[in-house]
Amino acid sequence: MTTLARIPQLLVYGIISGSILSLGGIGVSLTYSILGFSNFAHGDFMALGAYIALGLFTLFTGLGIPNTRFGPLSFGFGFTVAFILAIALTAIAVILIDRLLFRRLRRSGPIILMMSSIGVALGLRNILQFFWSPQPHYYTQMIQRAVSLPALGIRIKPDEVFIIATAIVLVVLVHSFMRYTKMGKAMRAVADNATLAQVTGINTDRVIIWTWVIAAGLAATAGILSGIENKFITPELGWQMLLSIFAGVVLGGIGNPYGAILGGMVIGISEEVSTAFISTGYKPAVAFVIMIIMLLVKPTGLLGRKN
Amino acid sequence: MSLLTVDRVTSGYGDMEVLHDVSIEIAAQEIVTIIGPNGAGKSTLMKTIFGLLKPTAGKIRFIDHEITSHSPDQIVRLGMAYVPQVENVFPSLTVRENLEMGAFIRTDDFGDRIKEIFALFPILQKREKQRVGKMSGGERQMVAMGRALMLNPQLILLDEPSAALAPNLAQVIFERIVAVNETGVAILIVEQNAKESLGLSDRGYVLAGGCNRFSDTGENLLANEEIGQLYLGG
Repeated sequence: MTTLARIPQLLVYGIISGSILSLGGIGVSLTYSILGFSNFAHGDFMALGAYIALGLFTLFTGLGIPNTRFGPLSFGFGFTVAFILAIALTAIAVILIDRLLFRRLRRSGPIILMMSSIGVALGLRNILQFFWSPQPHYYTQMIQRAVSLPALGIRIKPDEVFIIATAIVLVVLVHSFMRYTKMGKAMRAVADNATLAQVTGINTDRVIIWTWVIAAGLAATAGILSGIENKFITPELGWQMLLSIFAGVVLGGIGNPYGAILGGMVIGISEEVSTAFISTGYKPAVAFVIMIIMLLVKPTGLLGRKN
Repeated sequence: MSLLTVDRVTSGYGDMEVLHDVSIEIAAQEIVTIIGPNGAGKSTLMKTIFGLLKPTAGKIRFIDHEITSHSPDQIVRLGMAYVPQVENVFPSLTVRENLEMGAFIRTDDFGDRIKEIFALFPILQKREKQRVGKMSGGERQMVAMGRALMLNPQLILLDEPSAALAPNLAQVIFERIVAVNETGVAILIVEQNAKESLGLSDRGYVLAGGCNRFSDTGENLLANEEIGQLYLGG
């Protein structure tokens, strides 16, 4: 197949990958703007979510809870419940990590918080390896047939449509939350000016808890979706995506969740389309190069604010 | 009976003592201005009153509460509001959202309060849906005051409300301050360019080197030759 003819298909892969990177990026961006540090444990929150879903799904299967597939999708009721519960449990776990660690270090400044997040990242990954081994685990062994759309020159699996649709729904939900709810507005206020938020009477601790709920919930979703797309998960899945996520966040403008969505999409598409021209092995390098160029040319990112 | 009493307060940043034994008082519905040269400790005094800095000595009372070691979010609940000199608005939020944030701790319907604030600052109603980051300095100052008024405070602390404003705009802000005061709110203003502010104040204090220097009615301070020469630029 000629290089050019492969591009539409690679765009599809890019949008799928970009959907997952965007969901991860929103959390990184919110944590950065509201809590004031780059959270290197975010990728491992994704892996945590993916493994909690695996654990629950295994448990449900053992209990005989049915998982008859929903139409053409590769999963059914049992997995969906595991998926939703995993989102909630990941959020709870992350809030506990905040109470145990990040909250105590809040006054120590962004560098200390960032370093401690690297510790959290290593800790979580090793806990996952301890319980599940570093070997890949499978959500399903089923092979799903892709649907061909010859007019567009693409093939796409029903699961992949589900991934893109989930990302779109969640982005709309997050947008509505940030735009129209009192807590969402308070989150933007704290991101704007935390001191002023405090003197205004905004309960910053509650804002922080909500920030973690959204960041961790979206991270768990991204981790599980990557498991659905790749069919397997490893404890390293989030860590391996973290560079691309950060690249997307920086590209879009760190601290701006909309920038994270745009940046994640651009990085996802660039990585996939690059494979038409260069070896697949260079995918992470593509993200890295885009991030470096952006930092040199416009460090505030595509949608970033000045200062 | 005084609304706010600052009694021989010593405060500063870390080991650096800025205020030494400063005392001031504000009665309900008064306008009081604190003037003094740059570095006199005026902003430090405001931050100390509002709990952003902890005094190392002295007491602060507000209404019936000793608030010396209260945090800002506790103080705001007691009916005091603070408008910092800079970064006193949420720039990425709209005018209305800024006002809503001012009412964050209110659980009742504050729609009427927003209307009252729009009546005080009509320009804000016109700009209701605009992001504050794109507005002028004078408009931002009105947003900041509006936000501070959302909780129906008994006292507002204004840190240099006319700083960085063109003279005609400063004039507008001072008119609005008087209008706010007429709704029954006591106002404590810190000003470097103090003539305007003293002119509309019931009383004033002169702070220098972190200590009380003078206190009198606004009128008398303006008439005092020594103060005029030293602190009001002749």
